[in-house]
Amino acid sequence: MTGIMQDIKFYDCRVIEGSSTSIVLDNGKIEEISRNFSRGAGIRALCVGSWGYTAVEGEIDLKKGVEAASKLAFSMNANTPKEDVELAAINSPEIKNLPEIRIDPRDVAIEEKVDLLKGIGASAKVEGVHSTKVMYLESEFKIEYRSSDGIECAYELLNVGFAVSAVASENGLYQAGRESRFGYGYELFEKENVLELATTAGNTAVALLKAKTPKGGEMPVLLDQELAGVFAHEAVGHASEADLVLEGDSILENKIGEQIASPLITIIDDPTLHEFGYYPFDAEGSQSKRTEIIRDGVLNSYLHSRETAAKLGGTPGNCRAQGYSMPVVRMSNTFIDNGNAKFEEMLEEVRDGMYLIGSRGGQVNTGEGIFQFNAEKGYLIRNGELTELVRDVSLSGKTLEILNHVSLVGNDLKMTAGRCGKAGQLVPVSDGSPHLAISKALVGGA
Amino acid sequence: MYELARKALGMAKKAGAEEAEIYYAANHSTGVNFKKDALENTKDRFSEGIGIRAIVNGAVGFASTNSARDLENAVEIAVAEARIRENDPDWVGLPSNGKYPTVSGIFDKKVEALELEECINYAMALVEGTKETPGTLPTSGGFNRARSRRLILNTNGIEIEEESTAVSGFVDVITVNGHTSTAYDFAVSRSLDIDFYALGKSASELALKSNGGIKIEPQKTDVIFHPFAFSDIIEEALAPSLDADNVQKGRSGLKDKVEEELAIPELSIYDDGLIEAGIETSASDDEGVPSQRTTVVEKGVLKTYLYDSYTAGKAGVKSTGNGSRASYISPPSVGLRNFIIDYPMTDVIADTESGIFVNAIIGAHTANSISGDFSVEARNAFTIKDGTLDKPVKSLMISGNAFELLKHITGAGFDVRKVGGIITPSIRVSDMSVIG
Repeated sequence: MTGIMQDIKFYDCRVIEGSSTSIVLDNGKIEEISRNFSRGAGIRALCVGSWGYTAVEGEIDLKKGVEAASKLAFSMNANTPKEDVELAAINSPEIKNLPEIRIDPRDVAIEEKVDLLKGIGASAKVEGVHSTKVMYLESEFKIEYRSSDGIECAYELLNVGFAVSAVASENGLYQAGRESRFGYGYELFEKENVLELATTAGNTAVALLKAKTPKGGEMPVLLDQELAGVFAHEAVGHASEADLVLEGDSILENKIGEQIASPLITIIDDPTLHEFGYYPFDAEGSQSKRTEIIRDGVLNSYLHSRETAAKLGGTPGNCRAQGYSMPVVRMSNTFIDNGNAKFEEMLEEVRDGMYLIGSRGGQVNTGEGIFQFNAEKGYLIRNGELTELVRDVSLSGKTLEILNHVSLVGNDLKMTAGRCGKAGQLVPVSDGSPHLAISKALVGGA
Repeated sequence: MYELARKALGMAKKAGAEEAEIYYAANHSTGVNFKKDALENTKDRFSEGIGIRAIVNGAVGFASTNSARDLENAVEIAVAEARIRENDPDWVGLPSNGKYPTVSGIFDKKVEALELEECINYAMALVEGTKETPGTLPTSGGFNRARSRRLILNTNGIEIEEESTAVSGFVDVITVNGHTSTAYDFAVSRSLDIDFYALGKSASELALKSNGGIKIEPQKTDVIFHPFAFSDIIEEALAPSLDADNVQKGRSGLKDKVEEELAIPELSIYDDGLIEAGIETSASDDEGVPSQRTTVVEKGVLKTYLYDSYTAGKAGVKSTGNGSRASYISPPSVGLRNFIIDYPMTDVIADTESGIFVNAIIGAHTANSISGDFSVEARNAFTIKDGTLDKPVKSLMISGNAFELLKHITGAGFDVRKVGGIITPSIRVSDMSVIG
């Protein structure tokens, strides 16, 4: 083993200990209360250009873990030697600015939480809604990081949140409305008017029953904050992840310094904001910091790990992992910055087209720069005015074309919490935007 | 943790559980991954934990842990949670009387015995395969092998232990010249019967063939879905409506449709936990109910929904052996086993005068899981002219409805593929709406 360790130029460990609670209320009835207690560690070792990784659950012997990861890295390097991997230098992070928690959810009795959920479920059950589901999630964890570079740091974080969905049906037709909020501290349920949100979800489901499915095609569109945020995250944010750039799987490769978007567009990733993607340091112990991905339409920076920062030039701080998984380059809180257009002005700009609202998710091919997102609902815009409600509408197109077709950017930035999947791992993120007017986009419909 | 499973059952009884279930799962996997054409990392993962269901007065509590020192606490919390909940009149009981069928082909000693060097060789074969077609480069991918062990115990006498193995390969490629196009291929199996070199090669060929796509006019046309594309639609837009839990809660487009004509009469669908070497094959489901073969659609007629033991108890029927868990962290819910699409096979592309062939889709998870409506972006799509694939299509949106689609199936290929648990050939559907 001593022989191997001489060739290991770097190793690090993340030890995570945590617990979580979830409560599911279905049609006013508790369907599930579950608790989980976990501990485990993820350990990386680097031998020349090869990474070895070990994840262990339960009781942890770190020394053994480092040896196992080192052995993997060593034998991989022996089998398929590669170019040296350099890691950008970092300093010990400063742990500051953690979200303040006023009400610790662990101090709130489970009965009280169940009552809250029952209230939310009842508020979602407006006339016409025949089924509701409410989910409460709470998780607390402590992360300890240490590396062979001598960095040692730790933090604890506590998340809470809820999601409500309502389903309305009529003549064999089903439509759903959804709302969710996530944050830090049980005071979330005081800050947000959760009962009103639940009613909104119910009303959306009922209204969608009467909505028409419009004809698809190319047209000017207005995107709401949530859908534009999904675009910022999925289409632009992922393509700016430096690991994808290095893989040759990003439309943004070799474009730093180029005008790739309308000068109205500035896109930022900022893990220091107290939104759902917050962290004080990333999974490599790098201090979190704000990154301007696009500034005034010019591609300014990719998002980096220590390895990609050393390869491409940049600052690390966006390497993240779910639990004990191996860290990869990820976003945090990603958003299009405010412009100055007013909503009415934007309607007038679009004139005849569609207002697309909310998101039922989407996907993107970062290599080809194409994407597809389904909106929750929409309104037809005629003569600069909102007219009838439509459903089953989606937005698709080429990332760079859409970025260049942005004609107005609103001044009403709003963030939405969610979970982002990459490399089989989910991490908490948020994304957002002000309203965006786009002169030409492909809308899918009937 | 394994040694503690029986003890945990005793702890639950002692803590006051009237019924209790211990679900133990362990998984050891080794993955060798590459970025571009160089191996990047090797990952070894050990995961092991216990999930406890405790029942008091017809109410269920659930807790889980991967830490031996938290086990007693977790068991007590599961019981305490059950006490908080009101009696659930729909709760019948944990499964009992497990008489298990024999299944075969799910454990391969050779997979377990693979040395790291061999894993590296399989990953390299994926990379080498992509090089046979000049003009493309892999972007990422990898080889993975896993060995799992599962033990289910309950106070009604259920005791079932099973071991299984799995290997998989995945490769994503991109063209290096001219217009950019990408493609992927993957395979998963219980044993080492995957040709990894061929997998890399086929992804490369598809990326290259997809290069220089044309734009097509919006139209209604015949669309042939490759098993990758069709299985995505099945999983996201059809399967949720077969879940008895969704049916019972009014969240299924197939509510009250049993014995009704759901599809064209040539189509049958089976959910089968017993097939040889299936990815979802095992003697029991994830709550100890014996696995079975269930006819879901027989000659176009919907025969049954899929049940776990809770939803079956609620409906007064027998569980179909579809109790499923993603891990020891979750209580069971309804999930597909091996899900088999059966339609008379022909040389389906050759039989198609004009239409579109779609290899893969993105965005299927955005489908409306109740109504079955979907709108997806096609990947690696081609026009079909006079029975052969003609030109690649650059960008294509396909929208439709999963239930309508079953009524408009007009053909299936010979190319049956196991896409995880979903086993399907290419499927041709008439009158699909596409926007180029």
